[in-house]
Amino acid sequence: MHGDHSQQKNELQLPSPTAWPMVLALGIALVLTGMVTDGIVSILGGILAVAGMVGWFWQVLPHEAHEAVEVSTEEVRIVSSRTLAARLPIGPMHRKIIPVETFRIVTGIKGGIAGGIAMAVPAVIFSVLKYHSIWYAMNLLAAGGFISWAGASNAFLSEFHLRGLLAALVIHGLTSLLVGLLYGAMLPMFPKYPILTAGFMVPLLFTGILRSALGIVSPILNQRIDWFWFVISQIAFGLVCGFVVNLQAKVRTPQFQALPFSVRAGLHSDLDERKHGELTDSDDKDTPR
Amino acid sequence: MSTTAVIPNSPNERWELPSRGVVGMACLIVAEAAIFVIFVVAYVFYIGKSLNGPTPKDVLTLPIFTTICLLSSSLTVHAAVSALRQGKRNLCSLWLAATVLLGGIFLAGTAHEWYDLIYHDGLTIKTNLFGTTFYSLVGLHASHVLVGLIMLALALWFSLRGEMGREHSEKLEVLSLYWHFVDAVWVIVFTVVYVLGR
Amino acid sequence: MATQTPATEVLDLTVRKAPRRHWLEVLHDWVTTVDHKKIGLMYIGYSLIFLVVAGVEALLMRIQLAVPNNHFVSPQVFNGLFTMHGTTMVFFVGMPILFGFGNYLIPLMIGARDMAFPRLNAFSFWISAFGGLLLYFSYLGGSGLYGAGSAPDVGWFAYAPLTARVFSPGHSTDYWTLALLLSGIGTIGTALNIVATTICMRCPGMKMSRLPLLVWLYLVTSGLTFVAVGPLTAAQIMLMLDRYVGSHFFDTQAGGSAVLWMHFFWIFGHPEVYILVLPAFAFANEIIPVFSRKAIFGYPAMVAASVGIGFISLSVWAHHMFTVGLGPGANTFFTLATMIISVPTGIKIFNWLATLWGGKIHFTAAMMFAIGFLFQFLIAGLTGIMLSVAPFDWQLGNSYFVVAHFHYVLVGAILFMIFSAFYYWYPKITGRMLSERLGKWHFWLFLIGFHLTFDLMHVPGLLGMPRRIYTYEADRGWMIWNMLVSSGAAIQAVATLLFVFNMVWSYFKGAVAGADPWDAWTLEWSTTSPPPSYNFAKIPSVGSRRPLWDLKHPEDPDSDYEMEQSVPRKRSEESK
Repeated sequence: MHGDHSQQKNELQLPSPTAWPMVLALGIALVLTGMVTDGIVSILGGILAVAGMVGWFWQVLPHEAHEAVEVSTEEVRIVSSRTLAARLPIGPMHRKIIPVETFRIVTGIKGGIAGGIAMAVPAVIFSVLKYHSIWYAMNLLAAGGFISWAGASNAFLSEFHLRGLLAALVIHGLTSLLVGLLYGAMLPMFPKYPILTAGFMVPLLFTGILRSALGIVSPILNQRIDWFWFVISQIAFGLVCGFVVNLQAKVRTPQFQALPFSVRAGLHSDLDERKHGELTDSDDKDTPR
Repeated sequence: MSTTAVIPNSPNERWELPSRGVVGMACLIVAEAAIFVIFVVAYVFYIGKSLNGPTPKDVLTLPIFTTICLLSSSLTVHAAVSALRQGKRNLCSLWLAATVLLGGIFLAGTAHEWYDLIYHDGLTIKTNLFGTTFYSLVGLHASHVLVGLIMLALALWFSLRGEMGREHSEKLEVLSLYWHFVDAVWVIVFTVVYVLGR
Repeated sequence: MATQTPATEVLDLTVRKAPRRHWLEVLHDWVTTVDHKKIGLMYIGYSLIFLVVAGVEALLMRIQLAVPNNHFVSPQVFNGLFTMHGTTMVFFVGMPILFGFGNYLIPLMIGARDMAFPRLNAFSFWISAFGGLLLYFSYLGGSGLYGAGSAPDVGWFAYAPLTARVFSPGHSTDYWTLALLLSGIGTIGTALNIVATTICMRCPGMKMSRLPLLVWLYLVTSGLTFVAVGPLTAAQIMLMLDRYVGSHFFDTQAGGSAVLWMHFFWIFGHPEVYILVLPAFAFANEIIPVFSRKAIFGYPAMVAASVGIGFISLSVWAHHMFTVGLGPGANTFFTLATMIISVPTGIKIFNWLATLWGGKIHFTAAMMFAIGFLFQFLIAGLTGIMLSVAPFDWQLGNSYFVVAHFHYVLVGAILFMIFSAFYYWYPKITGRMLSERLGKWHFWLFLIGFHLTFDLMHVPGLLGMPRRIYTYEADRGWMIWNMLVSSGAAIQAVATLLFVFNMVWSYFKGAVAGADPWDAWTLEWSTTSPPPSYNFAKIPSVGSRRPLWDLKHPEDPDSDYEMEQSVPRKRSEESK
């Protein structure tokens, strides 16, 4: 049982085993069990619990009970079991460095705010032209929050309502911010023809999704939205937001467009210069050749 | 345990970790606080919803004296811990005795209040929603006070026998944390039951 | 060049040829132990027994439901079966097995010799164990067994007012309440131990930013436990007071509110399911990198997402109560909160995928279960998001669609990861490898059975089959689906038996594992298999998140790349 061939003999102090915690646990359990069986069980449980508490107390105070455990050791090196893998030579850049910073979130936020302000302009123009009021589009947006407004009269929607302003601000602000963040993240991923993608394709896509969803969720609201003007305001958002994002990320330069997708998407750092061909030679399977 | 371990790349850094007892008691406090929160929520939810019977306004009076006793017991237990840290065992015993006394007065006061409520005002846990939530919340708190008092009395006993020394000051501090928690809960219960609820 | 990292080069060689001991001595050893490893194993063993019991309960239910108008069990027994199956699986299988693994692994992974409070550890195990025994004693107590009486039959969530004295006479509900009170004490004790151990017992150099992700996730789980189990305990105390002392917490006749019970229970109940799933994430965070031969992608984001999931899970409970009539404001809030929790969860899934991407994947049994977990958890999350939309839930709440959803998480995600953890850590615990061949049979059989049962179970739900019914009419069109679901259950049972056989057989005949069969990187692989009672002969000290990688590859250690400053040390040397 005691190794004679060990190099060092040591003893360690470990907490000594004890049954008192179990006795206390049993005692508490029996106290509760007696509530659904017979009271005498609870009394027995109570006695055990007190005994357990006292016993446990003396195990810990005034000082913790310990027992000595024998240790015998030998120095051993920790090595990998994969001894046959061909490891690449260590160079300064041999590890994939995850970027510490990627594209700044502020870019997307700025883009979202700018786009949000920009798209209000066509919306207001539409309200004035069609309903002779600057508040109509705002109230229609607020109808996303106050469901009953979807069926309200034109006169009602043309008036100023504080609740409408607040609701529309919240919905518009949140959505512009979120879509702006999306632009900030995705514009560098698809930098070719940014005016087309950011300015036209994405707004049209967004409008299409919204129109089909709204057709199911709230057909009444769907009918009241003038989709032509809606598209105009979305395009306004897309152009302005894309422009602001591009100011920071500069996606239209040939240098940026030449970077691989994983770098543009922020997955890998642009400091990694290892060529892809070097990877194919290493076989980590550790099979004898 | 080896004390010669060196942290790679930072050989001069000292490796210090928080005390187990304090962290453990903090966890227990969080767990107990969660239980109390639910009883308080039930109390608040049912304010004014009793269908009959005595209302808080009818039967409750502010328990100012007992509250002062309980809250000052926090100060005395803190003093006891400080005294023990400095090795002043007799002073520690004195402060512990004061704590037990003040806590005992609180419990006696609560018992007296309950006696009056049950026998003079006819309010029991069965009477109405107010009775249900009042007795359960205050009772839960009182049971925690009782457990704390028993532990403090034990500590006083060992301190009087001279068996509690400077090396136990951390354990006493952990107990005092529990006592502070009990006092903090009382502040909340007092506010909700005796101030807001009336 | 990197500096040599010291420590963890010392292996214990205490010769293990001990003489055969009398079985009483062994029993005494296990009853009095305060060693976290033995306690962890007792938790795991105990939960495996209850897994079989609750599994049998499930099989009985599936037999009853396989054909319409069946009379295999009576409605009363069926009510008892689904209550016991749910209660057992959540409280006496899920929680113990996950806390058992945590108990075993956490001190080993942080370089400690035991948990912070070893005796509290033992107490927590025993009180949970007695809780489970009390719950099953209900089959015998009162008018139990052939009177088929006393097992709780009020659903695992025990809604008021069904649980009131007048509607549930006898003690069946009390068994439920008391057993869970006991196990709740044990759970809080273990969680307390985990937090104290993680914060106060780390080996030198193991800063919080170098903790293995498993330990981080158990830390979040334990924090969630403190905040979640308290409400259950409080609600159960209220229930007992209602039943025995005549209080009116949930008594509508006196102005009380039965919905209040629902709120309190689900304030516990939803974080509870996160308490069950976060340890599954913990296992995935350790297993997937090792078998992709790549460090986990995005460690800080994983920590942040886990903490985020913990916090958000406290705010979504009423998505179990959409059909109660809380009003549009509340419904909207809980819909949005539930949807938002998918964001940090999605971050974790993407990070696991990014870990797999570009790695050299080894399809061991452990890894296969982990990949199954990844896809199945995704699908389960998606059906969860579907259910989070309140009007959708109005149609499908309380139907088999919900049952399919949560079993997809519990079995498809959590149980799969538990199997994976068994295959991964069994060598460390016993010193022997599990048979890979049997493991693959286990995986494929279980996969087929699982998908047969739980993919198809969505359909009866969509066709309108409610939960907790003991039988159904033949003209509903549900029969073929129920029959297939039941046959899938049988296949899963066979696969589980294979797994149990594998574990027993490999204990005696499996290949010797050695300290580090998977070429892994965390501290538990630096000590012998099984570890000695004191874990480490010499307390290690670490310089990075993968201390064993640093030791195995001293020319290229992780510690050169840890972000102590904003730029890794190595590159700052190069730029000089």
